[in-house]
This record gives sequence, structure tokens and C-alpha cells, in this order.
Amino acid sequence: MNAPAQITMPRLSDSMEEGTLLRWIKRDGDAVTVGEELAEIESDKATVIYEAQAAGVLSTAIEEGATVAVGTVIGWLGNALLARQLHSVPGRAAGRRKASPVARRIAATHGIDLELIDGTGPDGRVVRADVELRLSAPEPAPVLGVRGEVTVHPLTRLQTLVAERMSRSRDEVPDFELRVRVDAEPLSSVREQLKAGHAVDVPSVNDFVVKAAARALREQPSANATYRGDAWERYARVNVGVAVAVEGGLIVPTVFDADGKSLGEISRETRELAARAREGRITPQDLDGATFTVSNLGMFGIDGFSAVISPGQAAILAVGAAAVVPVVRDGAVVPGRQFELALSCDHRVIYGADAARLLSRIRDLLEHPMTLLVA
Amino acid sequence: MAEVATQTPRYIEAINAALSSEMAADDRVVLLGVDVAAGGGVYGVTRGLYDEFGPRRVIDTPIAEAGVLGAAVGAAMAGLRPVAEIMYMDFLTVCLDPIVNQAAKLRYMTGGGVSVPIVFRTQTGAGRSAGAQHSQSLEGILAHVPGLHVYCPSDARDAHDLLIEAIRLDTPVCFIENRRLYGKRSDEWDRTPLPAGQARVVRSGEDVTVVTWGRMVLETLQALDQVGDEVSAELIDLRTLVPLDVETLIASVQRTGRCLIVHEAVTRYGPGAELLARIAEAALFDLDGPIRRFGALPTPIPYSPELEAAAMPGVAGIAQAVREVAKG
Repeated sequence: MNAPAQITMPRLSDSMEEGTLLRWIKRDGDAVTVGEELAEIESDKATVIYEAQAAGVLSTAIEEGATVAVGTVIGWLGNALLARQLHSVPGRAAGRRKASPVARRIAATHGIDLELIDGTGPDGRVVRADVELRLSAPEPAPVLGVRGEVTVHPLTRLQTLVAERMSRSRDEVPDFELRVRVDAEPLSSVREQLKAGHAVDVPSVNDFVVKAAARALREQPSANATYRGDAWERYARVNVGVAVAVEGGLIVPTVFDADGKSLGEISRETRELAARAREGRITPQDLDGATFTVSNLGMFGIDGFSAVISPGQAAILAVGAAAVVPVVRDGAVVPGRQFELALSCDHRVIYGADAARLLSRIRDLLEHPMTLLVA
Repeated sequence: MAEVATQTPRYIEAINAALSSEMAADDRVVLLGVDVAAGGGVYGVTRGLYDEFGPRRVIDTPIAEAGVLGAAVGAAMAGLRPVAEIMYMDFLTVCLDPIVNQAAKLRYMTGGGVSVPIVFRTQTGAGRSAGAQHSQSLEGILAHVPGLHVYCPSDARDAHDLLIEAIRLDTPVCFIENRRLYGKRSDEWDRTPLPAGQARVVRSGEDVTVVTWGRMVLETLQALDQVGDEVSAELIDLRTLVPLDVETLIASVQRTGRCLIVHEAVTRYGPGAELLARIAEAALFDLDGPIRRFGALPTPIPYSPELEAAAMPGVAGIAQAVREVAKG
């Protein structure tokens, strides 16, 4: 009989040190074939469906919700009996938390999760004293102050990551912001023509922005860079991150080599990435490697905003909603459509004049969208 | 009048006093057994009673236990209240029929037409190299039989009170003395007598319930002294196995969450198994660790003092078991 194959916490991205097993898709004792979906794992960057690399009967070693270091055994695939013999995790019998009957009863009565209690009994068994200690611990009492009842919501890994990166950006990056208004008419006109011609997947305004930004960065590579203390790192590829709001967070999938991709390609790829992000099927590879970010709140009717630069990038472009505004054309005030672009820049990498040239070029391209269609 | 230092009676004297007072109060009470009359019993339990009550009420018998007990059953059916002695508990095996098939069943089988108010007095007490045929604790066999009461007094106070209650009871009672207690005086002779079927909390505690009876109460007390403050143990003396005070036992285990059962009988299929089962049935969800039994090894009790000590539960072993159960 073959020895069971270990399943270890995979390293899903370069920066991943530990992962959270969100959900076992297969259960203890299930027969699994190679390539079948095994578990959902959350890394510092994404939630990933992890597939079986071997066939056999699954024997889980960690519970759902557990966070373990990369490389830690999270289960076995193989002969069930052998797996069980290997499966000697303190405080756990056949996948069940070891707890004395009275500990179990008291925990159930008070709605305490036994998984959250350290067992001090033999072999890590949770005994009554452990549960009572938990009970006697000062409960984060609902504060009924002037702000009403306070509930505490521990951050997910994604939320923690966002918080950490945003704080780092604000702490470290001396940023400045430039704003322009872009005439939306030419863009609308092109999109109308594409629609009239029954083109599939007509690129969105945002897709045009991604394309325009990528083109401008290609022309002005000094902004496709990062400040590294004593040097600038400039990147050969122009990879544009597209911020996507997901439930409980924000993730930024990457459109790689956006400067070289057609608007159609950018459009299809962005839709696909956004859908995967919302469904939690995004992979760490999808999230890595952006050199610039586009963030768009236009769909919410926001006129314009300033975005926070992602650490590791030099700038971020915030896109507002197109709005009907009075414009002066040929000496007359007429209705026009405009949207705002705000470019936040890391002054350690991009200086004001460079930033102005970059943003102007982006506006220029967007106001002449045909140039984006031909290359 | 000069102050006389009065000593409380020894276990053996308490039994003798109970027999004497019951015989004086009720002339239907008769004693019979091997050497119980002029000889005063092999351990001297019946000393003086022959002189006091004469040969018609204190009767020596041949060494023929089945015959002795058969006679006791007949006498009981005819209206007497015999106290029959079985010299060693081991000898029960030669006279189980009158106990198990006659005494225990006749009231039921006659629809209450006759009662069989017998006390089967016997004694056990390994630990003095009495050999395999004179050292067994067979109370579990008796407690298994419906229709019998089983009393196991652990000190002079209980020996006295329970024997009087046994003699007055119309149900056959197996009264199990321990020869190693015969010389002991009760520290608590003045305590309020308790009825059969009521356990006694000898010592209160919070961490572990230790339940026992007979001589093991003393042994366990010494063990608990050895354990000291390390474990807060509650010691319960069951006093009578039938009727059994389950309520006191369960209430204690519900509080402590842990239980050690100590008895002199062999652990395997011993009375502790019944107690363990009763606790598990009633208080499983109050348990914080496994219930443990600690009794004699499953071996004929050796004659060699060293081997006998190794086979029997003793102070050190009980102390160790208490510590283990507290942490287990």
C-alpha cells in the first residue's frame, strides 16, 4: 500500500508566508482524484481553489478557518488507515476536537467554539477548567455609549492586507495629485459607433482609460517605476492593475502588457478578472506584478476623487463619472460631457512636470480615442 | 466519682454490642455458625453472647455452611430472625443456594406469604497472608442478586448501626465485616447514625470524587492525607451496596467531574464496573475525564506478603490513582 501523500499549505505568491484554510471542499474520508477541487485557501493576496495533486482518501489535519505557515501539513491523500496513523495532532481525535463531556456541554450552553479554546488536559484535551477560564475572561462587552452598541468584526486577511498597504502608502509616500477634465464626447461617439456596428464586448470607458494610461506610460517610462530608497526601478512591462470592489474588500487584478493589448483584449480580460475576483476564484498570479493602477468610481456617479498609491508603484489614476457640463465651444456655452481624471503620484519617482505630461497625454489619447483603436 | 477516660468501642465490640442489644430486645433473634457459641467466634465477635443468652439462642454448627444457612432459612420462615455467620466470605461459594435461590427469592415466590429476615454475617479482609481461599471480596456477586441487601460497614459506628438495621429488616441482608477493622475504634462514634442506603461524605472536596466502602475507606483516607493539598478529593463511603445511594454519588461527580472507584475486590467484573456504569448513565455530560476503577489485580490473592501487597489496592497506589484521575 502506498504511503499517503502529504498535502501542505501551498505558497500561492512570492510574499505568502501563511495561509488560511477557508473551507474543505472535500471532506475527511472522501475519495479524491487528481485535479479535483480540494480546498479553498486564502493567502495574503487572494482566495484560491486548491486542487488535489494526488489521488486517494482525504484525511484532513487542520480545521476550516485555521491559519498555518506555508509548508505545514494540512492533510493527506492516500490510504485512510495509514493517514489516520500519521494524523496525530494533539487535542484532536478523528478530526474532532478532543474535549471532556462536561467541557463540551458547558461550551455548547454558552455558545463557545471549542476550536478557540486551548486544551490543557492530556493530549490537548479541552477540560472544564479551560472552558471556565474562557467564560471568566472579560467579554468584549457591548459598549453602549453615545455611538450605540459596538460590534467587533475581526479583519479578514484581505482586509488586513489592504489596511496595512494603505497605511504604509500614507506613511511613506509623499504624494501629490493632478486633475484634468476629459471631454467624453469623442469617447462616447466611438463607443456608440462600436455598438451600432454590433461589436461584441464594446470596451468600457475604463478600458479606454487603461489603454490610454498604458500607452502613455510606454511613451514615458520614468513613471512606470518604483522608488527603492537609493534607486528607481523601472519596469519593461506596463502592467495595469484595475481596482475591483469585492464583498468585504478590494482587490486589484492585473492586465499584463496593457500597452500592447487591443482594447478588445483589455476589455475581455478585465471583465473576466473582475468576475473571477467577485467569485473568489482569482489566483495570486492575477494579482501580482502591476506597475500602475486605475481606480474608477464613475459607475457610482462620483465626480472625481484622489486614490491612494499602491506601495511598489509610482502612481494611481482615479476616474470619475462622465457628466453633462456647460462647455465653451466656438465662443458659445453649450452642453458637453466630461469626466475627471486625478493622477496621484509618488514625488520620489515622478516630479510635477513629468506627471503633468503624463496626465495630459492620457487626456489627449482619450479625447482622440481612434488612436487607441489603431494600435 | 473519678474521671474515667472512656474509649469508644472497637469495630468488633460494636458488632457484639449490636447483637447483644438486639437479642435482648427480641428473643426471635438467634445466632448460628461455626464456633460462634462457647468459643465466641474465631475472631471473638460473639464473645459472651453464649453465656448471656444460652445454647438455644447461640448455636454452634458443624462445618457445613450449606446446612447452616439452610437451617437459617427454615428458621426464618418459621418466624425466627437468625443471624448466621459464614466464617470467611470465600466460603459463600459452598452455600450460595440457600442465599441466592432460597433467602433472596422466597418472599417473592410466595407472594409475600413468608419473609426471610436473615442476616448473613461474614467477613473479608485480605492483606494478612490468609491465602487465596480466605482473602476474597465477593460482595459484587451478592449485590448482583435481586432480593439481597449488601452492607459493608467501614467503621465501628456503621457496623453497630447497620447491623441493628439489618437484624430488624425483613429482607435478607449480607453483612460484610472486615477482619482488619475489628480492632479499630471509630473516630466519630458520636456522629449521627445513618440509615442503610445513604452514603456518607467522609471528606468534602472539589476536584475528584473517590468512592469506596469497607476497609478501603481508611486506606483511602491515608492516601488522601498523602496527596495533601495537591488534589481536593471528596471521599464517599457508600456503606451499603444494596440499597445504593446513587444520588449522593452522582451529585458529587456532577460537582467534581472526575471519579475514582476504589475497592478491595478484583477490578475485573467487580462492583466498580456497576458504579462506573451508573455514573456514566447519569452524569456523562458532567465528566471532565475518564472514570477510573482501582481494585485488586485479577489474580488469586497471593500468600506471599510482598505479592499480596502488590495485588491489592494500597495507600500509595490509591494516592497515585487520585493524582492521575485529577489530571486525567
